[in-house]
Amino acid sequence: MLGLIILAPLISLVNLSGLPGYESGDLQFWHSRYIRRVLWFSLWQASLSTLLSVLPAILVARAFALQPSFPMRALLLRLFALPLVVPAVVAVMGVVSVYGSDGWVSLGGSLYGLNGILLAHVFFNLPLAVRLLLPQWQTIPEHHWQLGEQLGMSAWQRWRLLEWPALREALPGIMLLVFMLCLTSFAVVLTLGGGPKSTTLEVAIYQSLRFDFNPARAVVLALLQLLVCMLVAIATLKLQRLPEVEIALNSGARMNRIMHNPLNVALILVAAVYVGLPLLSMLVDAFTGPVVQVIASHYLWLAIGKTLLIGLSTALLSVCAGWFLLQYNASLAHAGQTGRAKLVDLAGSIVYVVPPLVIGTGIFVLLSSRVDVFKWVYPIVIIINALMGLPFVIRSLGATLRQNYARYDYLCQSLGLQGWNRFRYLEWPLSRRSLGLAAALVAALAMGDLGVIALFGTPETATLPLVIYQQLGAYRIPDATVTALVLLCLCLGVFWLLERGIGGKPDA
Amino acid sequence: MCSITRCLGSILLLSSFALQAATPKLVVYTYDSFTSDWGPGPQIKTAFEAQCDCSLELVGLEDGVSMLNRLKLEGKNTRADILLGIDTSLTADARASGLFEAHGIAFENSTLPEPWLSDLFLPYDYGYFAFIYNREKLANPPSSLRQLIEAEQGPSILVQDPRTSTPGLGLLLWIKKVYGDEADEAWARLSRRIVTVSKGWSEAYGLFLKGEADMVLSYTTSPAYHIIAENDTRYAAAQFSEGHYQQIEVAGLVQSSQQKKLARDFLEFMLSEKFQAIIPTTNWMYPAALSSDRLPPDFGQLIDPSPALLLDDQLVASERKRWVDEWLEVMSR
Repeated sequence: MLGLIILAPLISLVNLSGLPGYESGDLQFWHSRYIRRVLWFSLWQASLSTLLSVLPAILVARAFALQPSFPMRALLLRLFALPLVVPAVVAVMGVVSVYGSDGWVSLGGSLYGLNGILLAHVFFNLPLAVRLLLPQWQTIPEHHWQLGEQLGMSAWQRWRLLEWPALREALPGIMLLVFMLCLTSFAVVLTLGGGPKSTTLEVAIYQSLRFDFNPARAVVLALLQLLVCMLVAIATLKLQRLPEVEIALNSGARMNRIMHNPLNVALILVAAVYVGLPLLSMLVDAFTGPVVQVIASHYLWLAIGKTLLIGLSTALLSVCAGWFLLQYNASLAHAGQTGRAKLVDLAGSIVYVVPPLVIGTGIFVLLSSRVDVFKWVYPIVIIINALMGLPFVIRSLGATLRQNYARYDYLCQSLGLQGWNRFRYLEWPLSRRSLGLAAALVAALAMGDLGVIALFGTPETATLPLVIYQQLGAYRIPDATVTALVLLCLCLGVFWLLERGIGGKPDA
Repeated sequence: MCSITRCLGSILLLSSFALQAATPKLVVYTYDSFTSDWGPGPQIKTAFEAQCDCSLELVGLEDGVSMLNRLKLEGKNTRADILLGIDTSLTADARASGLFEAHGIAFENSTLPEPWLSDLFLPYDYGYFAFIYNREKLANPPSSLRQLIEAEQGPSILVQDPRTSTPGLGLLLWIKKVYGDEADEAWARLSRRIVTVSKGWSEAYGLFLKGEADMVLSYTTSPAYHIIAENDTRYAAAQFSEGHYQQIEVAGLVQSSQQKKLARDFLEFMLSEKFQAIIPTTNWMYPAALSSDRLPPDFGQLIDPSPALLLDDQLVASERKRWVDEWLEVMSR
């Protein structure tokens, strides 16, 4: 089903050769030296970005896990969801405000190039990885910690015997997700990369589909990108070890007695400053801008409405689709078919690397001769965003569902608990926290989306990211910083609402 | 009771259908900064609807390239009656698509610096590319393109990528026009002082305002925005003695349109004073058919960009890909 949604648009694009103005028969790799260089650079920057984001994220997530009563912990963690939704242009401006030549921590000219790309990618992805890794500590049963304490384990032993095994389930998937995000990064790479030396495959795809209008070549490049990701995915999933799930009544550790470790506190502070500085600079910029004027505009409020509509519907659709995919996956894994389970996981995770531009154009070609696409802009945008959100759902919900399945499936069968009742009395209470995170992440992601909505065009009103882009494109840079702040606040609000509303009070 | 509401409901429904049938709808594809709240779109919609007895739907797409691609994808099924917002580097492609029909309008009030000859497209505004600088930071801006490129200790600049941006392509053509076959050497010399090459105009201009470089590639009309909207006179365009590369934005009538009469009325309206007077302070370009004494007075402070440089659109269409590849090769060294 998933494959069909992805493949059908691709095939329809290849079939376009009869179109006017389209140069057919140009499938051979145009100057393949260029493509090799682009491919190499894409892989290199994506791998470096992934390592620099995820490895520190492990330490930071661990620090958060071991300091449950850190002041403003909940707020900081919510702040960590923000970089995900900042449109790339705005984030670039934030990074430049901090590290640019007139910045607070000036790096001068050396910002542009690999440095700038890595700085921005770590800003985007470190907090995301922290958010996704953190719940893994909660999967360690309480009595393991007690046992560890009784045996007098050192911190290193606790890490190796208790924490690392819990991480190994989620870590490869999270690395893969971050890798995909960096591989497909576009505006950041072009703007901070310093020039066409820093060209990624995504740029080449964009060029062939838009500038040269050569859909067939765009599809070939998209497939190449998919292939690369598939190889990386297979390699990372090989590293994945699904831990034995034991039948424990009390999971979800409450580590109240954990000691304060100054090193952990320092780690949290460094990460918070790193993520906070560009956000703070956006805040400062916004408050020097025409706040009242922008907020009083009717246009902005229409955009807020549209953005909320898209964000919430996308979250609903994506989480529902992810839920069924993951339940199927869990039943496969439980039945011992780990190979097939991994395949399902892979399929769901990898959709992200097919560029929205390619899928979108494909869907457009499929539909435009049959229906009036303009009437369907929002459903289409929501469906594509929901697809793009699937990997986030899988990463935030997968481990919980698999463990629940393994722990309670026999119990449910013997009790005859199924269907709605099983969801109501078993799945919901056990997984609502992860569900909340998944929904919040996807909603935030969809609210910050620019690629999909810009592709289809707007009959009357725009979404917030589009408004930001329109303002930036019309010299209204101060207005854009205010709108960006509105978008950030809206996302923060929705994140809080979904995480609290679905997930319930923390530690309840 | 129930049947009364149902009856009322169907009357409402019918009358709304009748209303729709009575007022024809004209669909114009354009770029989304045209349709935005502060762009020309809203004022133009009001002004045209006041005289046409129709409804005008402006559909905002990303830019000229996406508009044309969208039209090619939709072919004969398109809803568009008019495409407004492609520029002279795309008109040859647009002509080759065979999707446009001759406008049939005598364009007599042109204020373009050169005579307009195209039978398929009509211009509504135009501008010139230029490097913008901050007077307080750069005392002696270069006075020619050659000086900008060849001075070893020249100013640092921000430019856009010709693969993704109109001004980026504009600079490529500008340098091609001035340097001809030696354009690649010019790029090699210039590249050392290019801070970064951005995806679109907005990123580069934003970085410039943040102080990341001495100059940014934009339009000669850019300072007008700062003067008129922000009362800020620090920004100026550097006047180059070779002249400035020109960009002319045009509209075309889509061949498959069912409402060609109405569409031609719109094109006439586009060249009228009502439409043209909206352009300078919303699109920040020169109107294509408005005498200079009708321009906002502050436009008088802008540099004189003549002579206007422009390459033949057929030549651009056939060579663009090769030139971009050549640029990529030089810039990736």
